[in-house]
Amino acid sequence: MRWLLSLTFIALLGLVQALSSSGSRLLVVVEEAAEKAKYSTFWKDLEERGYKLTFDSPKNDKLSLFQHGERSFDHILLLPAKSKGLGPALTPNLLLQFINKDGNILLTVSADAPTPTAISSLLLELDIHLPPDRNSLVVDHFNYDTTSASEKHDVLILTRSSPLRSDARNFFGGDGTLAFPRAVAQELGNTSPLLAPILRAKSTAYSYNPKDEVETVEDPFAVGEQIALVSSMQARNSARFTVFGSAEALEDKWFDAKVKPVGGKDSKTANREFAKQVTAWTFKELGVLKVGRVEHHLSSISEGSSGNDSVAQLGYLNPTIYRVKNDVTFNIEFSEYSYDHLVPLKIDPADALQLEFTMLSPFHRLDLVPISTTANSTIFSSTFKLPDQHGIFSFRVNYKRPFLTNVDVKREVTVRHFAHDEWPRSWEISAGWVWIAGVWITVIGWVAFVGIWLWSEPAYDQSKGKKMQ
Amino acid sequence: MVAAALEPFLKGDTGRNTRGLLRLIILCTIAGAAVASRLFSVIRFESIIHEFDPWFNFRATKYLVQNGFYSFWDWFDDKDVLDNGDRWRLMHRELGTWHPLGRVTGGTLYPGLMVTSGIIYHILRLLSMPVDIRNICVLLAPGFSGLTAFASYLITSEMTTSPSAGLLAAAFMGITPGYISRSVAGSYDNEAIAIFLLVFTFYLWIKAVKNGSAMWGALTALFYGYMVSAWGGYVFITNLLPLHAFVLICMGRYSPRLYVSYSTWFALGTLASMQIPFVGFLPIRSSEHMSALGVFGLVQLVAFVEFVRQQVPNKQFQTLLRGLILVIFAVSMGALVLLTVSGVIAPWSGRFYSLWDTGYAKIHIPIIASVSEHQPTAWPAFFFDLNLMIWLFPAGVYMCFQQLKDEHVFVVIYAVLASYFAGVMVRLMLTLTPVVCIAAALALSSILDTYLVADNPTPKEARPNGQATGDVVKNAADYIKDSLRSTRNPVLGIYSYISKASVVGAVTTYLLLFVLHCTWVTSNAYSSPSVVLASKLPDGSQHIIDDYREAYYWLRQNTAEKAKIMSWWDYGYQIGGMADRPTLVDNNTWNNTHIATVGKAMSSREEVSYPILRQHDVDYVLIVFGGLLGYSGDDINKFLWMVRISEGIWPEEINERNYFTARGEYRVDDEATPTMRNSLMYKMSYYNYNALFPAGQAQDRVRGSKLPAEGPQLSTMEEAFTSENWIIRIYKVKDLDNVGRDHTSAVAFDKGNKKKKTAKRRGARVLRVE
Repeated sequence: MRWLLSLTFIALLGLVQALSSSGSRLLVVVEEAAEKAKYSTFWKDLEERGYKLTFDSPKNDKLSLFQHGERSFDHILLLPAKSKGLGPALTPNLLLQFINKDGNILLTVSADAPTPTAISSLLLELDIHLPPDRNSLVVDHFNYDTTSASEKHDVLILTRSSPLRSDARNFFGGDGTLAFPRAVAQELGNTSPLLAPILRAKSTAYSYNPKDEVETVEDPFAVGEQIALVSSMQARNSARFTVFGSAEALEDKWFDAKVKPVGGKDSKTANREFAKQVTAWTFKELGVLKVGRVEHHLSSISEGSSGNDSVAQLGYLNPTIYRVKNDVTFNIEFSEYSYDHLVPLKIDPADALQLEFTMLSPFHRLDLVPISTTANSTIFSSTFKLPDQHGIFSFRVNYKRPFLTNVDVKREVTVRHFAHDEWPRSWEISAGWVWIAGVWITVIGWVAFVGIWLWSEPAYDQSKGKKMQ
Repeated sequence: MVAAALEPFLKGDTGRNTRGLLRLIILCTIAGAAVASRLFSVIRFESIIHEFDPWFNFRATKYLVQNGFYSFWDWFDDKDVLDNGDRWRLMHRELGTWHPLGRVTGGTLYPGLMVTSGIIYHILRLLSMPVDIRNICVLLAPGFSGLTAFASYLITSEMTTSPSAGLLAAAFMGITPGYISRSVAGSYDNEAIAIFLLVFTFYLWIKAVKNGSAMWGALTALFYGYMVSAWGGYVFITNLLPLHAFVLICMGRYSPRLYVSYSTWFALGTLASMQIPFVGFLPIRSSEHMSALGVFGLVQLVAFVEFVRQQVPNKQFQTLLRGLILVIFAVSMGALVLLTVSGVIAPWSGRFYSLWDTGYAKIHIPIIASVSEHQPTAWPAFFFDLNLMIWLFPAGVYMCFQQLKDEHVFVVIYAVLASYFAGVMVRLMLTLTPVVCIAAALALSSILDTYLVADNPTPKEARPNGQATGDVVKNAADYIKDSLRSTRNPVLGIYSYISKASVVGAVTTYLLLFVLHCTWVTSNAYSSPSVVLASKLPDGSQHIIDDYREAYYWLRQNTAEKAKIMSWWDYGYQIGGMADRPTLVDNNTWNNTHIATVGKAMSSREEVSYPILRQHDVDYVLIVFGGLLGYSGDDINKFLWMVRISEGIWPEEINERNYFTARGEYRVDDEATPTMRNSLMYKMSYYNYNALFPAGQAQDRVRGSKLPAEGPQLSTMEEAFTSENWIIRIYKVKDLDNVGRDHTSAVAFDKGNKKKKTAKRRGARVLRVE
């Protein structure tokens, strides 16, 4: 039960510190100190959740994301910068390296400030596209805030997200409306499975450059729901990168502003709540899966039968070799991190957690069913008969869903053939009785023949018997 | 004075004992010479296992010694061993070979070799001589070559009454390069003990046929069983003994002796061979074994007919016999065809077909043709391997014809078959060597026996008055009148000391030259471990090139314990043995498709290869590159076989023609085809090779060609290790890109090439539906 204790301990530790599952050092890149003040509520919220904020300017020479080859920060929050470049410490290669080293980045963009080239080339690598012209913003003539943008229609009024797919978790839902002033549209590439939009524009929105003199917009950058206002990229190592389309929406004034949609009532924006969700997700307070104990053993031997002795447990748990056609049980323990502690993972009925038993291709693909729940985790299990094929197989749990960290657990085991003494003995096979009988009849017959032959030696005539030879 | 003193030792009973002792001493000396001449490689290099297959045998032997016989029997390949308490629980950490298919090793090998060295190991331990198992393995082949020399003494002595023939055969067998090629110290292969077993089984068989003894027949079967457990070449015995029996029957030489010996051998030998898991039911199911079964039936029939002939009058017997023969022939032939068609009897295997049609393998089974030792033999090889014996051999066979007893028939058949096979396949030179030694010894001993007699001969009817010497010529003339020359049994002899001296002198010179040649060949051609290469420095001193071991130890020290290594199958056993890492394919080429998969990965573009590598969990790719050193046995030279083998499975994806230039040349320079230059093998071979040379001067010293000015780019792999002389290059397979790009653009980004913003989109917009 030691693992349970340690888990509990970790959970307790989490409670005390109450912060992200992947560290609390947050670097906020802000160009001018004046900018910083605009977001004071936002900073306060983050600090309350346990983050240690470091404000730094991209112009600072001493700024460095890495020290001795390790990350100096766990997360980066980039505010829109006026300058074209971001300096030597924040080149796209370094930012990518930061992601490759499990660092998370929240990038905010704004239509007021041009996107630095470092950022746009990084985004290109990730297959996230920003409008080609600097000043494009998203307008929607049907869903705008009538109080602040009755003229320009560039403050979008949005409802919170609905689930991306029927089987995907929705971390960004809730009541209330969001106000997105002067948002930058993002378009997500179609090929990368790592991208997912967090917040999409309404179907009537389009991207448009107000500086363009032309009256009508031909071939806009993006229209309707293809526009992502907040989009996410979760790398294969589960590092998270979020593009927040409107930095202004995080400012204090929009956190508690009153907005009035077309033909609607006055209401308070839910921006503050939404900002919490987005930062919590990006900085890995949400949607982080943790795999605990992974074990497999012969079904015929279970914990009960060999007692609680840890030596005995070592013996039957996780053997490296099985035989073909063994009955095997596979258990895996899953927890999910929720803001500040681990909770048991619940799988949506529309979704399934599956186990593959695979060699080159899966021989089995089975649903894992929850068999028990502890305070922090759920144990999923599956029992099956190994295929009649020897080789090196792996138990594989490959669970990758939007907004949840990637789980790819692989345990290699050897499946061997029958040993020479594991087949049934000859007399147990009824078809072999004929042959066994044949063998013994021959043996007995031969012995009998020899006996008769020796016994029935002809009596030689005494007088000439010897000479006959 | 000396002669007088020696007198009592050379005559009578004491003389026989003295000669026996001398013979023993000579045989021991021969065995000593046989062992000694095989130690070149140990002295020059070190006590190391050679080449490829021996590495597996060595690993298997270690396994056997550490885990006992039963574990070995049920061995499902692993890498090493933790304990031997519970057979299954902790023993198998991970599969070694054929990842991820695994190999039922215990059931797919010939265990004789390993068991033999295991027994020797345990006996030595019992005698309190703890010898390292590696040294036993290294020295097993030389040790057994001494025994082979002894066995050839025995078998040759059965052929002739001359005592010198056996000793000569033993000496020949001891030092002939044809046998040394497979039995130098370190060449720990099945052939190491199999040739001894082959010769000894033949000796026992001759003994059995001569005596008609069930005991000798049973002994033959016993050693045949041992042979089956040791080498796949046992099929040679399985077919040669029945053929001998069959020819004897056809010659009208059927006798109860033959009946007893053959029946005993066949019944017991077949049972014994079926005890080997790898052979199993083959003796009654495969075509190769059918002749033994057929002759067994024939022998029974002939025995039955003989019995009937004694009971039935002659006239009826003829009719009966004719009818019987026809019926039985039709029935057995029909049954054979039916069983073969229905698949109960396995059809001939590919290796067997290639014995009859040397072009067969090249077209149908490239994997067999790709092995150099399966190539047809070049003519000079016969002289190279057998030297003077190759021209004594026909004379010896001729002398067998002269006497043509049962055992001589055997030698004749053996000679004919083995000569043919040796001409078809290089490696079968090995089976030819014993019979050549026997025949050559027969021929040479009769020369020596004739010319080495110091006394002048006296005719048989030497008159008591002692006038004989004067009128020999006249006597000879008398004999000719009497009868045919061949029947008159004259006293033959050489009278002139000059002719004696000249012939003996010439033969002695030949023999000395033979020894010289054997030593030279052994030292120069057959004593290289091929794991370690030797070269001469300008000042004449020896320089050891140890790239293989450098690379294998790098793998052992620097990679994860379960890291999967992909290489061409030639190196599979060595990686398993020296680097202790799992491999995809190895020298046990049981699965052609898996090998073709590796071939495809090597010969395709990176984008095609990468998914294959991912699917097979490959962590590292190891290739052999000889371009820098001029080492011609490298992978680029083997590359066409990879292409051919994979073309056999994926003809629509791989096409051999694409690797040749328009003029049909196989090139690696500027004119190489795009397919060639984009293949993974080419890229891995020449990656970064340019950096060694001044710009534009890169040179491949094996192909003797200048390489393109710009070297190939690799995006899905990164160079992990290159050995000192660039013989071994190891690449690490990259993981999928962390942010979902393809590898080419990831590499371009790392190099600082900014992606161009997508220009004006063409065609309809592709929308995200999610």
